[in-house]
Amino acid sequence: MSDGYKRVSGDAVEYEVFARKARVDPLHLVGSVVAPDADLAMAYARATYDEERWCEMAIVRKADVIRLWSPGEA
Amino acid sequence: MSLSDLVLSLADNKQMLGLRYAEWATRAPSLEADIAAAAMGLDDLGHSRVLYGCLEPLGHDPRGAERESDAKSLRNLAYFDEPWTEWSQFVAANAILDTAFTAMIEACVGGSVEVLQHRLRKMLMEERYHFLHGRSWLRSGIDSGPRDRAWREAVEWFGPPDGDVAMLHREGRLSMGPQDLLARIEGRLETKAPHVAVDWKTWDPARRRVRPGAIDAHTFGMLRGLEEKKYAPPAAAKHTAA
Repeated sequence: MSDGYKRVSGDAVEYEVFARKARVDPLHLVGSVVAPDADLAMAYARATYDEERWCEMAIVRKADVIRLWSPGEA
Repeated sequence: MSLSDLVLSLADNKQMLGLRYAEWATRAPSLEADIAAAAMGLDDLGHSRVLYGCLEPLGHDPRGAERESDAKSLRNLAYFDEPWTEWSQFVAANAILDTAFTAMIEACVGGSVEVLQHRLRKMLMEERYHFLHGRSWLRSGIDSGPRDRAWREAVEWFGPPDGDVAMLHREGRLSMGPQDLLARIEGRLETKAPHVAVDWKTWDPARRRVRPGAIDAHTFGMLRGLEEKKYAPPAAAKHTAA
């Protein structure tokens, strides 16, 4: 690419992507995307994790997840 | 121009938009943007297939034999004539032209023609993500050249204030006329279009553009399947020729 865009490295935020195939299933983590805003993150999540017929998909900023403990701390 | 002519123009433009998106599937600024380019390309190529499929039920298919040999017979905007060399061109097409096509699809879905009401509705769901992608990148700032050109070609594509789209609106077959369509994309993008003065006397009503020209020979060859034949083994090529 010829343009010097800095958005990806500079302002990028990681978003976790959650989805489920049926109403009875719980939402589960299917992956993550990196984007500078929620609009772009939604577009990226839909494009990247479109291989299944999800009935629901949601994204959340990874930084907004409040962790009680992490691997190795329990 | 009839509603079929308008739908064919929409189909040809969606096809070219899809192809140009796909060309950026390994050149966008990030892996996510690569994947989005590929996914949006597939969406728009699929939309073009659905739109071509509406021509026969509409009662008039304007496609003639010249489409096999003359690139100028395709009804795409000049913006798609050549592959894009800059990301700004991608973003301007994604934000402005793709949204213009979506606004026209909304006008078809909201109009009185049943086949369009039913078959085009699903496209609007997929286009929501094209719009989010385009608007976000547009807000990050792009070169004014591609942006202004995209606005100009959107205005040209909607047609003159008293032209065919205005007439189809008056008849109820479209739910919006040219001014409503422009206002719709301005509202969506939360920005005003630059002042565009179109010399409608030089406007081609079939191709909905002012600028002469046609898509590049490579893309036209590929669309016609010629590129595929070029890479076929000699025996297969001979068989095809026979």
